[in-house]
Amino acid sequence: MSQKYDAIIIGGGHNGLICAAYLAKVGRKVLVLEKRHVLGGAAVSEELHPGFTFSVASYVVSLFRPHIIRELNLAKHGYEVIPMDCSFLPLPNGDSLARWADPSRSRREIARFSKKDSEVYPEFSKVMTHMGKLAKTVIDYPAPDISSLHPKELKALFRLGKTFKDLGPDLLHLNTKLITMSALDFLDLWFESEVLKAPMSVSGIIGTFQGVRSPGTAYVLLHHYMGQLDGAFRSWGFSKGGTGGISMACANAAKSFGAEIRTEASVDQVLVKNGTAQGVILENGDELTAKTVISNLDPNRTYLKMVGENHLEDDVLKEINRYKLRGSSGKVNLALDRVPEFSCRPGVGEHLKGDVAIAPSIDYLEKAFDQAKYGEFSTRPYINAVIPSLTDPSVAPPGKHILSCFVQYAPYHIKEGAENWPKHRDAFGDTVVDTMAEYIPGLKDMILYKQVLTPWDLEQQMGLTEGNIFQGELTLEQLLFQRPLAGYAKYKTSINKLWMCGSGTHPGGGIMGAGGELCAKSMLESRAV
Amino acid sequence: MSKKYDTIVIGGGHNGLTAATVLAKKGQKVVLLERRSVLGGIGAGEEFHPGHWSAGLLHETGSIRQHAINELDLKKHGLVTTGERASVAMLGKKGKCITLYNDESRTVESIRKYSEKDAEAYKAYRSFINKITPLIRDIMDQAPPDLVKMGNKDLWQLVKKGLGLKKLGKATMMEFLKVAPMSVQDFLDERFETEFLKAGMAGPAIYGSFTSPRSAYTTLNLLIWECLSTEEIVGGPQNLIASLQKAAEQAGVEIKLNNSVKRILLDQDRKVKGVQLGNGEEIESNVVASSCSPSETFFNLIEPNQIEYSLEHGIEHFRSRGTTAKLMLALDKPFTLDEFENELQFLRTGNSWLEMEKAYDPVKYRNFSNEPILDIYLGGKAPEGHGSLSILVHYAPYELEGGWTDQAKKQLEENVIETLVQYSSIKGSIIGSELLTPVDLAERYNLPFGHIFHGEHAVDQMLTRPIPSCMQYKTPINGLYLCGSGSHPGGGITCMPGYLGAKAILKN
Amino acid sequence: MPIKTPFFPRTSELCDSMQWKEWAGYYAASSYGIPHDAEYFAFRNAAGLLDVTPLFKYKVTGPDAAKYLSRIMVRNIEKLKVGRVTYCCWCTEDGKVVDDGTVMRRDENEFFVTSADPCFSWFSRFLRGYKVELEDISEKVAGLALQGPTSRDILKQICDAPMDELAFFGLTKAKAEGFEMYISRTGYTGDLGFELWVENEHALKLWDSLMSAGKNYDIRPAGIAALDMVRVEAGLILKDVDYYNALHCLIEDRMSSPYEISLGWTVNLDRDPFNGQTALKAEKERGSSWCIVGLDINWPEIEKLYNKHGLPPEIGSSAWRDSIPIYTDSSKETQIGYATSGTWSPILKKNIALATIEKKYEKYGSNVQIEMTVEHKRHTVSAEICKPQFFNPERKTSTPNNQKS
Repeated sequence: MSQKYDAIIIGGGHNGLICAAYLAKVGRKVLVLEKRHVLGGAAVSEELHPGFTFSVASYVVSLFRPHIIRELNLAKHGYEVIPMDCSFLPLPNGDSLARWADPSRSRREIARFSKKDSEVYPEFSKVMTHMGKLAKTVIDYPAPDISSLHPKELKALFRLGKTFKDLGPDLLHLNTKLITMSALDFLDLWFESEVLKAPMSVSGIIGTFQGVRSPGTAYVLLHHYMGQLDGAFRSWGFSKGGTGGISMACANAAKSFGAEIRTEASVDQVLVKNGTAQGVILENGDELTAKTVISNLDPNRTYLKMVGENHLEDDVLKEINRYKLRGSSGKVNLALDRVPEFSCRPGVGEHLKGDVAIAPSIDYLEKAFDQAKYGEFSTRPYINAVIPSLTDPSVAPPGKHILSCFVQYAPYHIKEGAENWPKHRDAFGDTVVDTMAEYIPGLKDMILYKQVLTPWDLEQQMGLTEGNIFQGELTLEQLLFQRPLAGYAKYKTSINKLWMCGSGTHPGGGIMGAGGELCAKSMLESRAV
Repeated sequence: MSKKYDTIVIGGGHNGLTAATVLAKKGQKVVLLERRSVLGGIGAGEEFHPGHWSAGLLHETGSIRQHAINELDLKKHGLVTTGERASVAMLGKKGKCITLYNDESRTVESIRKYSEKDAEAYKAYRSFINKITPLIRDIMDQAPPDLVKMGNKDLWQLVKKGLGLKKLGKATMMEFLKVAPMSVQDFLDERFETEFLKAGMAGPAIYGSFTSPRSAYTTLNLLIWECLSTEEIVGGPQNLIASLQKAAEQAGVEIKLNNSVKRILLDQDRKVKGVQLGNGEEIESNVVASSCSPSETFFNLIEPNQIEYSLEHGIEHFRSRGTTAKLMLALDKPFTLDEFENELQFLRTGNSWLEMEKAYDPVKYRNFSNEPILDIYLGGKAPEGHGSLSILVHYAPYELEGGWTDQAKKQLEENVIETLVQYSSIKGSIIGSELLTPVDLAERYNLPFGHIFHGEHAVDQMLTRPIPSCMQYKTPINGLYLCGSGSHPGGGITCMPGYLGAKAILKN
Repeated sequence: MPIKTPFFPRTSELCDSMQWKEWAGYYAASSYGIPHDAEYFAFRNAAGLLDVTPLFKYKVTGPDAAKYLSRIMVRNIEKLKVGRVTYCCWCTEDGKVVDDGTVMRRDENEFFVTSADPCFSWFSRFLRGYKVELEDISEKVAGLALQGPTSRDILKQICDAPMDELAFFGLTKAKAEGFEMYISRTGYTGDLGFELWVENEHALKLWDSLMSAGKNYDIRPAGIAALDMVRVEAGLILKDVDYYNALHCLIEDRMSSPYEISLGWTVNLDRDPFNGQTALKAEKERGSSWCIVGLDINWPEIEKLYNKHGLPPEIGSSAWRDSIPIYTDSSKETQIGYATSGTWSPILKKNIALATIEKKYEKYGSNVQIEMTVEHKRHTVSAEICKPQFFNPERKTSTPNNQKS
């Protein structure tokens, strides 16, 4: 039977587009179907207010795999990430801490709070670089399948074991600590000042339904050190034109290799016959067939909505129902008529060009989490804010600015039930603006436009089940050979010829592109397409 | 210097006694030094009210390992075991109660009164536990693998041993790998629906660690407890100590009470040469086995400049944040519950995830719980017709905001009793009490920050316990060994750190 | 962004070249004029004045201060007498060098320590059990190095201290007009010289009085470029150039023991435990794998190489800090090490370098090959292995009133 397409990819997020590009590059006929009018999924830029281009959901880039940029020639297709120079922490007592790319400058800033901490930084970086090296060997390859007794898998396991063993007992132990400890406990191994630990620890909780004291949150701290290993001087950056810029670069690359991309083409379900995916059925009733189908959607949506329970074996159904996606964050995007200045460090300095953390103390962060545990959004939330328009003038009219606030915690499952989120949306937005206004006098008068996204909205608009920005919690039982399901962790699903390439696959969330790349490579290697 | 010993054992708790006896039985000349006037450490019974005795700080004896009992001939020395796992009652408010018996079918019936689904789920749960028990016991009964010396060959052995996991069968293995890192709340939610049953079952998962049921990796702690838990000792820890003492004496261990150690003495090359007692007396030996906590051993018993910084840093960051208090209550009548069965000795409260979580929150902010989670033992000695309640109280911090004033202690005691009242009407019958805050525990038992296990049972503090350079019981100080709860397999009354520590001494 | 030292109002006025470098987070003049030869000759013929404020400075006080420092340092500081200074390094417990600097005993229970890297955190780690107080006074105390043959005479003009009696590695408190300071007979030039330590508020007074008193003695502000030349001549090693702080090294190969960086002479092994003792004892017994040597690079061969291209020898007038391979012979088959810094020595008329080579090749007088790029092509020229000290004038250590160190 001749098919028009070798692969249909459901979802035009960055992973779907990357997967399409890799397949198209070697001559496969690929069709990408995106439900919305705009590509990018969670890595999307939208002009929501005239002249203001928002990175609606995902807002900074750090872990995008550099070899993908090289292999797909993404720079030619518009990929441009401008590094961030500073991490800024305003404090309610009028003080503040800025951490800079310049180590001496950072040291002096930190020394105001703890001289010891200011000097330990290089030692911490050194150890984290070791750990990051290890993590790199994990995220750049498909996860070895532990359940298999195949000699190939055993060897892979042994090789991985050897890499770990060669670290020596101390680093090996540290690695265990990194994987299992709370972000705060891990930082306690080095640092004493809360003013430093609080803003550092939050990178462990972003996107998770955990607090900085929750075991298992430490390893995300690594992300800050991965950038370095990839040969970049600084790890975090803004994508030119918003994070959608990355998705557009991926889309352009895919198109240049001959992939076909359709927007406003919402897939209703995967066409499954005899346990084999044969194509997709669109919402408008059109049937499109292909040799393979690849889902960029989260595992829950893929298995339960696109495939449907009736096509799943009992044990698969049981396992997919165990997959956890409790979303915990929201987003408030503001268009402002001027630069927001902080009362604790007035002026439009370089400190505004990085990220701004509202994380004044450990107790503050933990209390924010406590509320979420009981089904409320934090009334004193952790906020990670950026003003990308200070670095990339293309996203706002001259003199005007964007303040983009990532907010935690906003649990998907509020007490009243997730479907009641719309009733609380305004209150949530006000909480965030009020909190920011405590540090930015006059903020409320600067606002030209406000977009509030609750986890419910993330689900409705972007198709992220339960508003989970990583397509599934990043806890150990949902990582590696268990992401998303044990036995189906190598991009294959339990349905023949149906594959997955989203953040719900190894190595997980963030704008990495690894899922899309590794899925395409796995398919090509196994001659599935 | 007085006469020379093969080994000096510091601390006369269950681990110290075990270590000393194992060594003496192999012909070593051993002296055991105990700071207090009684043996037993946390296992020593204490009279807290005339005629009313606690069974010791910890009261569970179900985790003591069989081969230790056998090797020390404890049964010959008066140890009697019950032959079965203790029955534990999970209490719910308003008189609800489910009892987990040794006899599974009885347990299932007890659960069935509340939930048919849970009754079936419990069978599956036990069957899972039974399948993984050999694996867990295998790990907990042996000294951990020597990471420092591990070669490729050892690694291959380890990978193959890991594949021993595969002997469990693929399904069980995958399930184990899936659930071990999970939070106990997620784990039990997947299986059970009755709130107070889940809350009660989750107890052992959070004891002695700075976690709540929703913390990752707490399932692993529950599984370990379930797999190790076997028959209880009749009479509780006190009787264990009595038989250990007899075994030690029989084996020729010289026991010195009221003898605190001031310093472990080292020679020029930082090798152990003996100890100096509080009274200035010096005892000579090339080997010292310390059953004290790692921080006590390295920070108080060794001169500050004698240890390298990496060791100091490691021990300093061996997390041991005490979160448990102990309340003893003397009652003028036996303790009763509506649905009470008189064979019961252990009770656990919790009632719901929400309440457990609310009990946990304050400790993060250096406060104790309004409504704490209670782990209760009814077996303490009491005069005829009276009762003794031994209650482990979670959570109470070592460093309390504002300090442990009398006012604060009174408040905590009140909180415990008010909590208890919601499960049973005991209020009028209390005739005496003793509250030990983590600070009191630290003082009485020399526990670091009052931590009942010498250090938290967190994943990174298992196996490599307390730190990699000491995980084989020997330490970077030549001749100094650890044999307390700060070593693998950790705290609780297992006697294993003492047993394995002694084995390490004999091996070297 | 670097910050300014208390001397900046003066140094910035004088720095005609506008050549600045960053040194430990401070602006430091690289050279005041172009070229910097005059500054080099000031060090060797008159007096050069160098702002050394960017060094890190610590005060250690208390009854256990000497004991405590002995635990940290490879030297037995308990033996250091009041009014004396010692130069040494400090190690990790694996015997790898963290940093080097000077320790000055101001009083029985008061020490002043300088370092190149911030070491407060490192020093703090060993405080437990000692009755001492450790204070970081880096940003409270300014430092000047006055180095060169006329430096003593200049100091005599401005202060009351008996300069003719201050021996090599001696330390004295001194009173000048309107301020007090500590003077140590130390430096990084291998010449007669002093380092002067004052509180920040007196920094400019010190500078001005020196510059005015020094007029008749050809004093001249000098920058790091000139310092780099003289320190290579003197065979003084530099952290982050000739060796690395072990705490910051990703791999063990980048770490060095004191023996491997020619500081073995500062190690006192047989005494109470100190950081790295066990490892250093073992290394001493086993022998070290690496060492630092001096290289006297064969000038005629250099001339010949350039001649081939019709060029006169083009050796830059600045010291260099690159890693350059050293081979046994011109076949380049066996690399035995690498040179880490070098310079043309105007006074010796030699092209010299400091190099780390395998210990087994450390034979003074023997020849090795060092890589040299001429007209974009890599060649080798021979170099003679020698003691890493090319210039060592008698005036460096002699004292007029004959109190030798």
